[in-house]
Amino acid sequence: MAERIHVAEPAKVQKKRKLGKKDSKAKKNTKKAMLQGIGQSKVKKIDIKMKKLFRKRAREYNSDDDEGDHDSSSMAVIRDEEFSEEEKMEVDAELDNILPDDEENGEILPGITKFAEGCRAFRLAFRSIIKKNVLDDSLGPVLSAHKKLIAEKLAEEEAERKVKVEVKKEKHLIGEKGHVKPANYFDSHEKFLTGVATKGVVKLFNAVNKAQHAQKGLNLMRSKDAKAIRKRRKETFFSELGKTSKPAANTLTKGHASPDQRDGEGPAWAPLRDNYMLTNPKLKDWDKIPEATVADEFRRMSEQPCSDDD
Amino acid sequence: MARFKNKKKVIVKPVAKKKQPTVDHITGSKIPMSFVFSRGKLPGPLRQLQMDLRKLMLPYTALNLKEKKRNNLKDFLNVAGPMGVTHFLIISKTTTAPYLRVARTPQGPTLTFKIHEYSLAVDVIKSQLRPRCPQDLFKNAPLIVLSGFGTGDQHLKLTTIMFQNIFPAIDINTVKLSSCQRIVLLNYNKDTKLIDFRHYSIRLQPVGVSRRIRKFVQNHQVPDLRNLQDVSDFVTKAGYGSESEADDEAATVTLASDLGRVNRASTKSAVKLQEIGPRMTLQLIKIEEGLCSGGVIFSEYGSGDGKKKQDNEEDPEDQEDEDEDREDIVQDEEDHEENIVEDDDEDVD
Repeated sequence: MAERIHVAEPAKVQKKRKLGKKDSKAKKNTKKAMLQGIGQSKVKKIDIKMKKLFRKRAREYNSDDDEGDHDSSSMAVIRDEEFSEEEKMEVDAELDNILPDDEENGEILPGITKFAEGCRAFRLAFRSIIKKNVLDDSLGPVLSAHKKLIAEKLAEEEAERKVKVEVKKEKHLIGEKGHVKPANYFDSHEKFLTGVATKGVVKLFNAVNKAQHAQKGLNLMRSKDAKAIRKRRKETFFSELGKTSKPAANTLTKGHASPDQRDGEGPAWAPLRDNYMLTNPKLKDWDKIPEATVADEFRRMSEQPCSDDD
Repeated sequence: MARFKNKKKVIVKPVAKKKQPTVDHITGSKIPMSFVFSRGKLPGPLRQLQMDLRKLMLPYTALNLKEKKRNNLKDFLNVAGPMGVTHFLIISKTTTAPYLRVARTPQGPTLTFKIHEYSLAVDVIKSQLRPRCPQDLFKNAPLIVLSGFGTGDQHLKLTTIMFQNIFPAIDINTVKLSSCQRIVLLNYNKDTKLIDFRHYSIRLQPVGVSRRIRKFVQNHQVPDLRNLQDVSDFVTKAGYGSESEADDEAATVTLASDLGRVNRASTKSAVKLQEIGPRMTLQLIKIEEGLCSGGVIFSEYGSGDGKKKQDNEEDPEDQEDEDEDREDIVQDEEDHEENIVEDDDEDVD
């Protein structure tokens, strides 16, 4: 399997132009290496080369007489093979000529050379592949060096990340500065503040209640209510007199600056009281005030509500 | 067409679809509207704080105000004019602390507060056992309670006036108690010179009713009468009072009108506050005459305070204008109803 793959690779590497040829040669090589006694390959192309090789081998063979015994046995084996091959092969005229000349050699040599040829070609191919494998193997040690580089890189990245995380943490802390999460329990300070707010709300609601519910001038106890009454009086002025509020407001503020005087004694409705509008010394002698308009307003005010209620 | 439209730098989308009245039909005065935005890029929690403040200022604010990086204060001013926006609340941050600037728009004074501590609304809600958020909580503007400011210093007075005017005034005679659902508290501590800022929701609970009956009426859950012989046992059983119910004596009000099914008029109800919204501890640092510009009226650290970067704006205002402003504000107070209740001062005038 591996051999076949390797054989295929060089074929690809050779840029396809000799693919066909290579394939056939490769096939021939494999076949010759693998098979014994089956000679289906074509001999014609190899003939010239074979001739030269035969001669070479013959010389070698002839030169070495000591090793003739060894070779003879092997030759005998090969001879047989050659014979079988020859019978099936299409032999050329040259080869026929050669064969009777060097019958032994012709018989022997083609077998040997072919076998050697096949072996050698295959060996060459195999070696080239193996060389590449060696190259691949040489990448192995390079890869391990590469691994070291990677390890260094990873270490660097980790260090960077740590630095980044720290910077982020610092930024986050600065962003959170001043941000306080309130505690679960009810703090005494919080209780105090809630109490203050509650007091305020209660005050307001009571004022609203009195202003909306009660009669005019019911409670002059608090200035808040006094203001409310003042405002209401102002509104009645608006509707009845159609005058601007400013002079009235000014006089009224002076008129009701005293907060804590009424305690609900006497009639509940302020205008019915005897000291109505008379607490303020300025307004005591209101009929003597040179500003007739203001006096008129007060007079009308005291008169008309009476008539309305009736 | 889209390109030209995008040139308008500040995109404002107010909350209410219907047109909001700019003039209060009851008191006749202009309803103050506000913008809450930030200068510079804010980190996460501060952006949340900005959102919380926007919710606090509802409904008279732009909830979905979108600001781009290149927006200047001038852009906001240009948009504020036609929309009737009167106040800006600006959040910014330096390495030391976040800052909150409260400014009155056209040329009004700017108060700079340093935020020492803050807690977000989500933090506050998480820390509570039973957080409550009724539906229409943000439909009406909150009330404001200022305490501890006194009538003393000029800068404190200016602070109170500024905060009073941020929220619309209410008319005592006609206000419906059901519309007062939120309250903002600003408590000034003279010793530490810190202002505590809290935001509560108001809840009314009938008082004088036994706990079981109250819960039954409120929750509509049929009680478990297995162990009782008679209904009278259920009604008259002397239940123990919880701790919070005990100290409510001072917190009871008599309602002017019915509030929902449970609280009826002329019966006592207890006022219960629950904290919602952000919590801040502020310190007044600086007051300037103009809108983030102009002469410095008051400075905590003296004249060498250059911590914040200023946006250069219009010409610096004169002292006269400033005084005029203040007079106007004071006059406004007299002319229309206030929504303030001050604790230690009876006389505001």
